Amino acid sequence: MRRRTMGAMFLALSLTLVWGCAGMDYASVASIAVKTTVKAAEASRPISDSEEYYIGRAVAARVLGTSRLVQDPQLTLYVNEVGETVARKSPRPHTYKGYHFAVLDSSEPNAFACPGGLIFVTKGLVVMCGNEDELAAVLAHEVAHIANKDGINSISKARWTEVLTTLGTETAKQYAGAGGQLITLFEGSIDDVFKTIVVNGYSRAAEEAADAQAIKTLQKAGYDPGAMAALLAKMMAKKGAGSSGIFKTHPPTGDRLAKVKSETPAATPNKMEAVRTKRFESIKM
Amino acid sequence: MKVPAWLRKSRGWLLPLVLAVLLGSPVLAGADTMKVSLDNQSLYAEPNYSGTPITPVPAGAEVKVVTTSGDWYKVEYQGNTGWMHRGAFAQAQTPQLNLPGMLFGGGVKQTKSDEVALAGKGFTPEVEAGYRQKHPEMNFALVDQVESFKVDNAKLQAFIKEGGLTP
Repeated sequence: MRRRTMGAMFLALSLTLVWGCAGMDYASVASIAVKTTVKAAEASRPISDSEEYYIGRAVAARVLGTSRLVQDPQLTLYVNEVGETVARKSPRPHTYKGYHFAVLDSSEPNAFACPGGLIFVTKGLVVMCGNEDELAAVLAHEVAHIANKDGINSISKARWTEVLTTLGTETAKQYAGAGGQLITLFEGSIDDVFKTIVVNGYSRAAEEAADAQAIKTLQKAGYDPGAMAALLAKMMAKKGAGSSGIFKTHPPTGDRLAKVKSETPAATPNKMEAVRTKRFESIKM
Repeated sequence: MKVPAWLRKSRGWLLPLVLAVLLGSPVLAGADTMKVSLDNQSLYAEPNYSGTPITPVPAGAEVKVVTTSGDWYKVEYQGNTGWMHRGAFAQAQTPQLNLPGMLFGGGVKQTKSDEVALAGKGFTPEVEAGYRQKHPEMNFALVDQVESFKVDNAKLQAFIKEGGLTP
């Protein structure tokens, strides 16, 4: 009996060593095998929230590589307050690291939504808005692009498939440096998103969906939903519309304005709008 | 109480085996209730931020953890079941005890390349670091500055109230 107990103890200790001793080769091999199985299961997974965040950071870094940031704490705070107010009423009130809004030092009216929640609006567009509700319309529209994942969805499917393939084969390569390949694929993904949000612009369908969502968000937040149509009308009236900046990336057309107007519910006049306009005008630009 | 014959026979090896399983388990999870430490959190139907939130969860609320999936915890809160990101529990780490680690040392140290590939997230801080090295012209310092700007929740509520907006 004692011999059997000793034998069992030895067996148990051996099992413990196999499970517990991280230094043993077959333990680490087993660990890698498990991870490989996880990788195989992930073969067609979408881009995760944290990956979206890192792509957005790099796109923002590229924008800020050529644009200056307005270093005005009062204006930055105000834009963030308006932006947060609408973001919380959007279909995606939270992102991996939250929404952050900043003003670019450019007189050309424009706005960009980097994946993950970094939103830029130019000083020129803030000035064009003229009141808080129109600024809220701009920011609600950009938040809608993030909620709809319009930027992140511009990464080519072939490129993302290659990312997943690289991840799946890394265990076999071990120290072969597939990290370098991932960086190249990351670089390509940044190019895809940057081209869409800065150079070529979103598709018309994506713009119209963002307009429709912005109207709903404005209404939920308590802003005038008519501010979206008012802003588009201003953009269309601006000389040179359609050639550059937001007119290229957010083309305002008669059809788009008509669609926005048809989707805008009749708003009850809100006496607090005057308070909001007053605080907008108190921000020195 | 009468002990069954099979149990009497097996008592010699049962206890050591149970000990081995307990010692060998990679993680012994602690409490299954966690406290939300960040403001303005929500329960989500799926483990991602894309869906419509089920219900808001304020800071300080206690939720019961049902299961986990990556960075997401499936929790129960006030009769609702949904998912919360682990970031909501920034300061509240589930106590974990790894006896094999304590007895026999840590795991095999992998290289950064392995970590990049095996983390389960293709684009990680390590990939960003590699990209930054390759592209010094990108202004990540300004991105960090933009991200460091936070709106105080109390001030935001006052802003919303002052403007006659919906809290």
